[in-house]
Amino acid sequence: MIFFILCFLDFVESSKAQVLTGMVRIDGGQFRPFVNDTGQRIRVKPFYLDAKAVTNREYKDFVEQNPRWGKQTVKAIFADENYLKHWENRQKDESANYPMVNVSWFAANAYCKSKGKRLPTTAEWELAASAPPVGSKYHDVNEIILLWYSRKMPEQAAVGSVYQNSNGIYDIFGLIWEWVDDFEKSAAGNQRDGGESIPEGLFCGSGSLGVSDVSDYATFIRYAFRGSLKGNFTSQKLGFRCAKSL
Amino acid sequence: MRKVTLKNYLTVAFGLFVLLAVNACNPSSNEKKNDASQVEAKELPGNSIYHIDGYWSDQNGDSLQLKAFAGKPVVFTMIFTHCEYACPMMVNDLKKLEALFSPEERQKFHFVMVSFDHVRDLPARLKEYAEAQELGSNWSLLHGNEDLVKELAIATDISFEFVDDGGIAHSNRKLVLDKQGVILKSFNGLGTDPELMKSVLEELF
Repeated sequence: MIFFILCFLDFVESSKAQVLTGMVRIDGGQFRPFVNDTGQRIRVKPFYLDAKAVTNREYKDFVEQNPRWGKQTVKAIFADENYLKHWENRQKDESANYPMVNVSWFAANAYCKSKGKRLPTTAEWELAASAPPVGSKYHDVNEIILLWYSRKMPEQAAVGSVYQNSNGIYDIFGLIWEWVDDFEKSAAGNQRDGGESIPEGLFCGSGSLGVSDVSDYATFIRYAFRGSLKGNFTSQKLGFRCAKSL
Repeated sequence: MRKVTLKNYLTVAFGLFVLLAVNACNPSSNEKKNDASQVEAKELPGNSIYHIDGYWSDQNGDSLQLKAFAGKPVVFTMIFTHCEYACPMMVNDLKKLEALFSPEERQKFHFVMVSFDHVRDLPARLKEYAEAQELGSNWSLLHGNEDLVKELAIATDISFEFVDDGGIAHSNRKLVLDKQGVILKSFNGLGTDPELMKSVLEELF
């Protein structure tokens, strides 16, 4: 009997979650920025997030409809020379469902806008990502992240193949890094005037938080990575998913 | 000497009429400027920030795209007019730079200041600010929508963030753009040596 009730509740949950195709509603909440002197928390309003990262197939359709985002036509100010690099090699059929990578912030932003969506903010992304995995494959998020970090060059795989979290979001860790709308603010209000290196505040922040905690270590790597990005950068491990306000 | 026939006369008269008619139909001088720069835009290098093609409003309420500034080197920065400390100092840095040039030399480059504050810095407010700061016609102060401002900030690596008290935390970054809108040199922080900026700018004249 309890089993049936649980199933029913589960059904109610999942039907409630599928409001927009491929998107999941994420409840709002409090988000504590990683680098934060004041201990202030950011309130995140409820929003929708793509359950899975944007795939090669989806991005290919976008480029066909928006030729200005083609490899030959894109301007260097919007995407560096490695943009769409993995498409130069023959497109294997199975890679159609792999996450799209080698895209810049400008490209990811344009893609999301073309769908009437936007990139998630850091706060939204972190909030959605913090939910624990469902199923018995992994115990917690840190296990997934550290396993992922420890692999030298993880093989690419289809979206949805790593794990699902209790928010209904797939592979937010373990597959690719993802663009956020405000990546340039990962230094949390610090002015990035120095330019090239990881902002100093990140080191100070991590010191005061105590990096002996593995979750802080995992988060630190993520923030440091975001802080090193520029709008036209592309990487073979960096993709994205879109969000939408309610 | 050729005799001016009636036919020739009519041809010339018709030609003049067509010219006048075309001129009369021509849109405002501002749009003409954009037409001219559109030709140049085809040849803009890929890393020119003038590829950001949204429309801005300047302090006179005129609508323009960034590529309208192609043709002259540009001193570029982002500010907001409710800024009490950093921005006035930045504007001051730029005014010191301007003062190093003769009136003739000042015509050879342009100042472009884009507002972070898409809510409050509407053209009328930018005009007031330009007047209060005594900025001449060689200064353009631009208002754009939220997305456009963000794209430009990211393309120029200027970070900014609205903070709770109505202020904006931002980089104090000044850029020198070449005639095609490519970032040639950036100056970070306040109190930039105007002579240093001058030497970079002069190279571009």
